[in-house]
Amino acid sequence: MNGIHFRLNGKDTCYDGSAADRLLDVLRDTYDMKSVKCGCKEGECGACAVLIDGVLVNSCCVAMGAVDAHEIVTVEGYRETARFAALSKAFADLSAVQCGFCIPGMILAAEALLSKNAHPTEEEVRTALSGNICRCTGYNAIVNAVLNAAKEGDGLW
Amino acid sequence: MKEICQSVKKKDHDPKIEGRSVYVDDYNLTASGKKILCGRLLHSIYAKAKVLSVTVPELPEGYYWVDRNDIPGDNNVNIVLDDTPVFCRDTVEYIGEPIGMVVGPDEKAVEALLKKIEVEYEELEPMLDLRNGDTTFFDYHFGHGDVDKAFAEADKVYEEEFTTGYQDQTYLEPQGMMAEPEEDGRMFVHGSLQCPYYVHGAVARAMGTGPEGVHILQDVTGGGFGGKEDFPSILGCQVAVAAKKTGQPVRCVYNRREDLEFTPKRHPSLSKYKLAVKDGMVTAVEADVRFDAGAYSTLSAVVLQRGIIAAPGIYNIPNVRVTGKAVKTNTTPCGAYRGFGAPQTFFAIEMMMDHIAQDLGIDSIAFKQKHFAKQGDMTSTQGRYHFPVPIPAMLDEVDELCDLRRKHIEYSRPQSGRYRKGIGFSAIFHGAGFTGSGERDMIKATAKLRKYADGTVEVLASNGDIGQGVRTTFPKIVAHELNIPLDKVYYSHPDTARVPDSGPTVASRSLMIVGELLRRAAIKLRGIWEEGKEQEVEEHYKQPDFMIPFYLDRFEGDAYPTYAWAVSAVEVEVDTYTGVVEILGAYGNFDVGTPVDYNIVVGQMEGGFLQGLGYASIEKMSYDNKGRIRNNSFTDYLVPTTMDVPHMVAKMHVEEYPDGPYGAKGAGELPLVAPPPAYLEAVEMALGGMKKHRLNAIPFSTEDVILELNKEVL
Amino acid sequence: MVNGYKPTTLQEAVEIKSRVSVTPYAGGTDLMVRNIPDAVYLFLNDIDELRQITQDDAYIRIGAAVTFTQALDSDLVPPLMKEAISRIAAPAIRNAGTFGGNLGNASDKADSVLAGFALDGRVRLVSAKGERVIPFDDFCVRRGVTNIADDELIAEILLPKEKCALPYYYKKIGGRSALAISRVAFAGAYEVHNGVIQAISATVIGEGKFTRYREVEATLIGKSVDEVSANADAYAERFIEKMTFTRGRVSAEYRKTVVTNLFKDYFASMK
Repeated sequence: MNGIHFRLNGKDTCYDGSAADRLLDVLRDTYDMKSVKCGCKEGECGACAVLIDGVLVNSCCVAMGAVDAHEIVTVEGYRETARFAALSKAFADLSAVQCGFCIPGMILAAEALLSKNAHPTEEEVRTALSGNICRCTGYNAIVNAVLNAAKEGDGLW
Repeated sequence: MKEICQSVKKKDHDPKIEGRSVYVDDYNLTASGKKILCGRLLHSIYAKAKVLSVTVPELPEGYYWVDRNDIPGDNNVNIVLDDTPVFCRDTVEYIGEPIGMVVGPDEKAVEALLKKIEVEYEELEPMLDLRNGDTTFFDYHFGHGDVDKAFAEADKVYEEEFTTGYQDQTYLEPQGMMAEPEEDGRMFVHGSLQCPYYVHGAVARAMGTGPEGVHILQDVTGGGFGGKEDFPSILGCQVAVAAKKTGQPVRCVYNRREDLEFTPKRHPSLSKYKLAVKDGMVTAVEADVRFDAGAYSTLSAVVLQRGIIAAPGIYNIPNVRVTGKAVKTNTTPCGAYRGFGAPQTFFAIEMMMDHIAQDLGIDSIAFKQKHFAKQGDMTSTQGRYHFPVPIPAMLDEVDELCDLRRKHIEYSRPQSGRYRKGIGFSAIFHGAGFTGSGERDMIKATAKLRKYADGTVEVLASNGDIGQGVRTTFPKIVAHELNIPLDKVYYSHPDTARVPDSGPTVASRSLMIVGELLRRAAIKLRGIWEEGKEQEVEEHYKQPDFMIPFYLDRFEGDAYPTYAWAVSAVEVEVDTYTGVVEILGAYGNFDVGTPVDYNIVVGQMEGGFLQGLGYASIEKMSYDNKGRIRNNSFTDYLVPTTMDVPHMVAKMHVEEYPDGPYGAKGAGELPLVAPPPAYLEAVEMALGGMKKHRLNAIPFSTEDVILELNKEVL
Repeated sequence: MVNGYKPTTLQEAVEIKSRVSVTPYAGGTDLMVRNIPDAVYLFLNDIDELRQITQDDAYIRIGAAVTFTQALDSDLVPPLMKEAISRIAAPAIRNAGTFGGNLGNASDKADSVLAGFALDGRVRLVSAKGERVIPFDDFCVRRGVTNIADDELIAEILLPKEKCALPYYYKKIGGRSALAISRVAFAGAYEVHNGVIQAISATVIGEGKFTRYREVEATLIGKSVDEVSANADAYAERFIEKMTFTRGRVSAEYRKTVVTNLFKDYFASMK
C-alpha cells in the first residue's frame, strides 16, 4: 500500500511520510491545521484534540498509520458550520474564551458530546470536557456556554 | 450596574475560537516570508557544577551551536539585579540551566545533535535547604510599635511554622520566543510574553545595542499568570543571540516537560509566626518569612516585598515586626505567579488566626472579625487604608450564600463516621499596582491614543492581552469616553517600535493604572476631536495626592494606593477511608471596584479561584536531594479539571476606587489568594480541628489526609 | 505504508508479527507517549474481528482493539468492568484506548486489567502457529513484563459469565477527579447465599503488579458476611500481610492504609 489515505476536513488526502509520524505534527506542519495546539504531547491536556470519524481523540496520541481510511475534522473544517456558529455565540455571550489555547480542542469536545447527546446535563458536559485542561476560566463559563449552545441551537444536533 | 460593566463580545473572540490566532509556534514563515530555524536548548543535568568543557560534534551545513561566546553584548539578563546569565557562565547553578542552543532547519535533526553534545562537568555540592540556607539574595526588615513589650505583657504567646510548596503557572501554551534579524540591522523579537518593554531592555543589553537596536512584539499569548513576566526576557535574549549568529530567524518553543521543570514558578515558603494575645486580642505579630528563590534572583526581590507587606494579613495589629529573606538554592529560579508572594503569607496569617481562635475556644470567624482593619487604620507599613474596607459586609454576603457561620460552628463539633465535613473562611486583600512608589519612580507609564482620519482610534500601550481581556477592556473605556461604537476603537498586540511604555502586564495594574490613563486620554481627545484629521493624545501616570510616600529602605508609607478585597468560604467532605476531599462548594466574594466588563471580571475571579484551590490541594511539585524537580509532566503535576470543582460561585461586591477608571481596582491576582487557607481550615475542621490534627502546610493532598489520620492511630 | 503495516485480518496480522519486528499498535494512547524511536507499528485498530464484543456460553468476549468507549456503550460488558473503565483518563483517551493495549503494555496501573483480575479474566493469544487461552494471572508477570511470545498478539479478553453476573465492589483513587492514574484501586466480586460467602475475589492497584491471593480468598468462603464485616480488620489483615505496597507518586503507607480501609468497606458492602 502506498501512502496513507484519509479525509481531512472533507478533502481526500494522501500522506507519504512515515506511518509512525504523530498526527498532531502532521496536521500542523504538513497540512497547516494550526488550530490544533500542542499543550503537552502526552494526552493529558486535550489542546490537540480532533475528531476522527466524529469521535474526540488527542492527535498527539495517534500515529499516522492509524488514520488510514478514516475521516479527520479539525476546527478548520468545522468553523463554517451552523453548529460551530451556535457554539461560538454561546462562548462569546459568556466571554468563555480567555487565552484561547484550549478552545479549539474544547469546541471539538463539545461537538463530540452534542452530536451524541443533544441535551446533556451539566454533569455530562463536565465529563465530556474533562480531558480538556483550561487554566484560565475555572471552567464555569465554558460549561455554561456548552449548555446554552445546546439550548439555543436546539435542532442543530 | 454601570453601563461600562455590561459585557461585550471580546475583540479576540472570533480569531481565537476559529483557530485563526497566530501564537508563536504557529508561524510557518516569518511575516516577511523567511524560513524559521528551530532552536533547542542544552540544559545542565547537575544542580551545581563547573562546566569544564563542551564538545560539540561536527555540525552539518546549516546547523549551529550558540553559547555565551556568541553574545554580542552583556551575558546578564536585565530583570532586577541582572544576575541571570543568558547562557551559563563557568558554572551551572541549577538543573536545567541553559548551556547553549543548537539551531538548524529540522527539529528532529536539532534534537539528535543535542544528544551528541558532550559536556564535562565537575560536580559541586548544591545548596538545597530553604530552612538553613545562608545565602540570601534579599533580606528585609520592617515593623512598628513595641513588639517586645507586647510579647512581655501578653496573656499568651503563640508560635507556629507554615510551609507552602511550588506552584506552576501551567499556562496552556508553553514558553516560546522568536527572533528575526531585520534588514536595517535591528533585532525583532516576538513571542509569548507579558511585558514587551522588559524583553526590550533585556535584549538590547544582551545584543549590546541601544534601545533603538531592537523591538519587541507580543504575539497572541496562551496564558501567563506571571509565568511570562521575566522568563521571556531570558529566552528572548537566547533566540536573539542565535538569530544574530546565524543571520536567520530563530524560534525556540519549550516542550511541556522543559516548561514544568525549568521555568519560574511560585516560591516555596517557610514562615515562622509569633503572635501575642492580651485580653482576647492580638497585640503583636512577628513574622519571619523565607522564600526559596532558586539559583538566580530574577524577580525575588519584588515578590518577597509584596509577600512580607501582607504578612499581618488584613488585621489591625498594633505592633508588627517582619523579616523576609529570599534564600538561594541550586534549583530553577522562582518568579512571578498570580498573587506574587502574598498567597504564602496570607496562608500563614489566616491559619495562625484560626489556630489562636481554636485555642481560645471561640469561633475563628468572630475572632478574625474583631481584628479586621477598617478605613483610616494603619497598614503594616504605616500607610493608611484610605478607603472603606468592605470585608464585614462581604462576609455577611458569603454567609448568606452558603450559611457559613452556622456550618462553621456545626462542623467544628466532634464528628464520627467515614465522611466528615468542614468549612473554612478566609479574608485577604490584594494591593493594586506596583509596590510602593514603583509606578511613580520606575514604571512612569505613558499611554497614547491615535485617531485616524477615518475616525477609528487605536490604543497605544504596552500591556499584553494574555487572556484577561485588555484588548477588549481598553477599547471599551476609550469608546465609552468618546461616545463612539466599540468597533471604532482597537488595540493590537503591542510592538515596542510603535507603542509607548505603559509598563508591564503585571501586578493587577493594567486596567486600574493604564485603563485610567486611557480614560483621561480619551477625554482629552474628545476635547480636541476634529473630523477627518489624524490626531494623537498622550497621558502620563501621576501618583494620587493622598498617598503617603513609600520608602523601600524602611518599608514605610503607603505600599499601595488602594486594595482589592476578597472573602472566601470552602466547604468540604473528607472521606477518611481514602483521603479524598470533595469540595462541596467554593464561594468567593470579590471587591475589585467597578468591574469594567462583568463577564470578563467573573472569568478572572473563577479562574483564579480554581487555581487557588489547586494550589491548596492537588498541585504538588517538589525537588529531590539532587535538586531535580520530579513533577515535570502533566501526568505528575496535576491541575484541576472540569470535574474537580463542580460548584464554585464568584460574587462581586463593588467598593469603587475614585482614582481608577469608573471606580475599578486591580483584579487579576486577587481571586487566587483567599482559597488556600479556607480550604485547609475546612479540611482541618473535618479531621477534628487543630487539637487533633494541626495543619499548616499546603498543598495538602489526599495522601496527606491519610498520613495525618494515621498519626492519630499511633 | 512507510514504517508500518496495516493488516485487515488477524491472520494477516499474526503472519506479519511472525516475520518482522513490529510494535503492535491498537489505540496509541500509551505508545505515542512512550515515543519509541524509529518505531515500526503493526496497526491493529482496523481489524474487524478485534473490534467485536460478543458472547458465547461461557464468556463475554472483548476484542483486543475494542475501545473503552465502545465497551461503555455495550450491553454485554459487565458493570464492574464498565465502572473501572469509565474512570480511565478522559473521553478522548477512552475513545482511543483499548483493552488489548491496557493489558499488553504491562502497566501496573491498568484499570481494565484490575477489573479483569477480579472477574477471573482470561486472554486469548494468537500466533501464526495457533492460539492459547490463559488466565490474566499467568499473563501478567510483573510491571513491564507479560507472558506473551514474540510472535503472539492479544486477540480477546474473556470474562467468565458467571463472574460477570456477581455483585461487585469497585473503588478508584487518583490524584484528581478526571485524567488521573490510579494511585489505589480496588475491585472485587462476590457471591453470598443466606448470609454466607460462596465466592469472593479481591484485587488491588498499588502493589506494583497484579495479583490474586486466591488462598486467602478461599479462607473466607463459608464464612458469614456478618462475621467477616464484624472482624473486618482481622480479615483484611489476612490479605494485607501478603501484600507489598510500592511507593511512587504516593507512599506505600498511604496505599496500605487505603487498601485496608477499602477491605472494610468491601466487606461491609456485602451485607
